[in-house]
Amino acid sequence: MSVVTQLSEQELQEQFEARIAAGEKIEVDDWMPEEYRLALIKLISMHGISEIMGALPEKEWVPKAPTLYRKLGIMAKVQDEMGHGQLLLRVAEDLLKPYGKNRGDLMIDLFEGRLKFHNVFHMETKSWGDAGLIGWLVDGSAIISQTNMLGSSYGPYARALQRICAEEVFHAQHGEAIIMALVEGTPEQRALVQDALNRWWESLLFFFGPASKDTTGTSKQDITIKYKIRVQTNEELRQSFLSKYIPRIQSIGLTVPDPTLHFDEAQNKWIYQEPNWEIFKKIQRNEGPCSQERLALRRSSYENNAWVREALTALVN
Amino acid sequence: MEKQSFYQEFEVFSKRTPTSNFQHQFSLLAPNGEMALVMAQENFMRREPVVDIWVVNRKHLHGLTQVNKQALQRLDNKDYRTTKGYGYLKKKWRHYEQVMLDEKEILSWGGGGKKDDK
Repeated sequence: MSVVTQLSEQELQEQFEARIAAGEKIEVDDWMPEEYRLALIKLISMHGISEIMGALPEKEWVPKAPTLYRKLGIMAKVQDEMGHGQLLLRVAEDLLKPYGKNRGDLMIDLFEGRLKFHNVFHMETKSWGDAGLIGWLVDGSAIISQTNMLGSSYGPYARALQRICAEEVFHAQHGEAIIMALVEGTPEQRALVQDALNRWWESLLFFFGPASKDTTGTSKQDITIKYKIRVQTNEELRQSFLSKYIPRIQSIGLTVPDPTLHFDEAQNKWIYQEPNWEIFKKIQRNEGPCSQERLALRRSSYENNAWVREALTALVN
Repeated sequence: MEKQSFYQEFEVFSKRTPTSNFQHQFSLLAPNGEMALVMAQENFMRREPVVDIWVVNRKHLHGLTQVNKQALQRLDNKDYRTTKGYGYLKKKWRHYEQVMLDEKEILSWGGGGKKDDK
């Protein structure tokens, strides 16, 4: 049995918009406007590749973790990040099918600078304090931006995020455990965490992206909100991060390296020193402190294993 | 046009306990079913309890198109198929000073399992 109906592009678009408005979930084989498909591909491939690139600064700390228990914990986390990358790249690949592209093409896009990875993963990790801070505050930020999309109109992405967020809870607690041990330790250990916070503060403000496209020239937030892929704006997410984490940061005796930071009751928002968005733009161009080093690591692993993929592909041809 | 690749797409299903149903987890890429089972564990079962796994090659799945899915919509006139259509019996039994044997009551009769929670 098959129902044959011929709908015009206009009718399909209207039907699609009605489904989005009604809160329905769009699935991979459903009709969708190209604008929606492209916004999803851009968002999800960047998210997926960032999970994989995000494992790189953390895996540096696997051999250097201070105890066996910490080593096992951070290894589990690195494995999770690669797993999240796998989930998200699957979602992106299914969307890419009409263009005849797959994850291999995404990897090439990454190497050639067409596909960005998250600004926070271009930074150096100098100490075990950084490893803890990444788990606590970077993963905390990631939880805020990812839970913002749990109700995404695109079904496969919403389902992937459901799995990812459940594991992020472990990551955040893993980071909290490292930070807690350090701040309750020796003065040197406390100093390690304060130093990490000082160096990472700007990256944490960059994390959610600019408030509007006036800052950096482009922003995809309007289109993703329009199609109910996400709910809140970048600035709303940043405010939510500050509300959740500033009291916690201060409660364990750490100082945020911004003397102007305060909550303005009248405006009902956090006032903070704007980070230097020129630096953010440089990072976006892969000109951050570790951008090229991490890309080179990813590239060499991809190229060194190319013969395996080629040999196996030859078998199916 | 799709590129040639040794990877194939598999949908992954798993059971959490011996009595639970298979549940869809997600999809993955693997060169064959055997590898797909290994990848399924690595990808989706690192923490949750699991007692069984199925992997199904996507080319063996038959599904509905977006248009055909609309034919699944039901009219709300099938009360005779559900307990909803017989709800008035509760009042009847009360009249005869009896308690109605409803779905919750009947499904608790399994024996060996859950006892009456009264």
